[in-house]
Amino acid sequence: MSDPLLAALLQSIDEGQPVALVTVIRAGGPAAGWLGRRWLVWPERPPQSDSSTDLPAALLAQARRCLQEQRSQVVAEKIDGGPVDVFVEVQARPPTLIIVGAGHVALPLAQLGKMIDFDVVVLDDRPQFANKQRFPMADRVLAQPFEETLRGWPINANTFIVLVTRGHTHDVACLLEVLDSPAAYIGMIGSKRRVNAVFELLQKERGIAPEKFSRVYSPIGLDIGAESPAEIAIAIIAEIINVYRGGRAVPLSAALRADRRLPLHPGRTG
Amino acid sequence: MDSAKSIYKTIERLTRETPVAVATIVSSKGSVPREVGTKMIIHPLGQHVGTVGGGCGEADVIKAGLNVLHSGQPQMVTVDLTEDVSMQSLGVCGGVMDVYVERWPKNE
Repeated sequence: MSDPLLAALLQSIDEGQPVALVTVIRAGGPAAGWLGRRWLVWPERPPQSDSSTDLPAALLAQARRCLQEQRSQVVAEKIDGGPVDVFVEVQARPPTLIIVGAGHVALPLAQLGKMIDFDVVVLDDRPQFANKQRFPMADRVLAQPFEETLRGWPINANTFIVLVTRGHTHDVACLLEVLDSPAAYIGMIGSKRRVNAVFELLQKERGIAPEKFSRVYSPIGLDIGAESPAEIAIAIIAEIINVYRGGRAVPLSAALRADRRLPLHPGRTG
Repeated sequence: MDSAKSIYKTIERLTRETPVAVATIVSSKGSVPREVGTKMIIHPLGQHVGTVGGGCGEADVIKAGLNVLHSGQPQMVTVDLTEDVSMQSLGVCGGVMDVYVERWPKNE
């Protein structure tokens, strides 16, 4: 038998539903008896208590506000005339890393992606590469056509996309599928010269505005002089952390952006 | 980017055998080693899981965890990392964090 609150919490996390665990962490005066009480709060359904005590309406509203902001925080309220501090712990969905292409760089990318607790998806149109034996650590391995799969994928601001297919034509075709998506990060492998030529070509032949490419991290990764597949994967993951956490490290793509006089696309965290 | 799922799964698994204390960083000021929401499980037999940042502060958190396991009463530990760097305390980050320590009872 498991704790009903814990079981419900784990179920919501498993199903990817937004949920917050609300705990009274300080309580004084007439509210002293509330210390340690816990509830689960969802955006829509009624809260669940660990003690059959109803969550006061003001706290429920505060918790739902935190859920909306997706930020865990302490909120202060009054219960029964006494001051309480409540910790609202928002269970954020882990970000998704979509690795497009299942080759040499994809393997260490998938490993590192799991190490930093991302949901890892590997996509390649070659079943001999895109399979669970090769990627046992990945959450999903899809042996499917690139473009159709990306077109149908629910890309959101929590999605990080890495384009590392076996050939530049595939990378570019996939780039065009995701260029207007709300993804937090789009990185594409390729040398500076090559990438520049691709962007120029797309501008000319497809009439794509040059600013649109400013959000693309290509050449991909941070500038750490990476050479081997594992080193390149580390440079890419470091760049993803840099975007995710709003770090200040210099991406390789900065030089190309400077040449093309494009601003860095403001990422998720600035 | 700690996986909340895995820490709650661990709490669920451990509380089938024993009560545990869970420490959570609920707020922080300045530079601290881990982010708000980071958890550590304090196990009565010392098989702790996770870290709230290591060093002297963590020793206080573990001590509080063992107290909480005994008393059942939640406790707040303020970990102050603002002291000057000295040979005695090299683990200085420069910030202060509040760590809430509570008991999750054994599930019969």
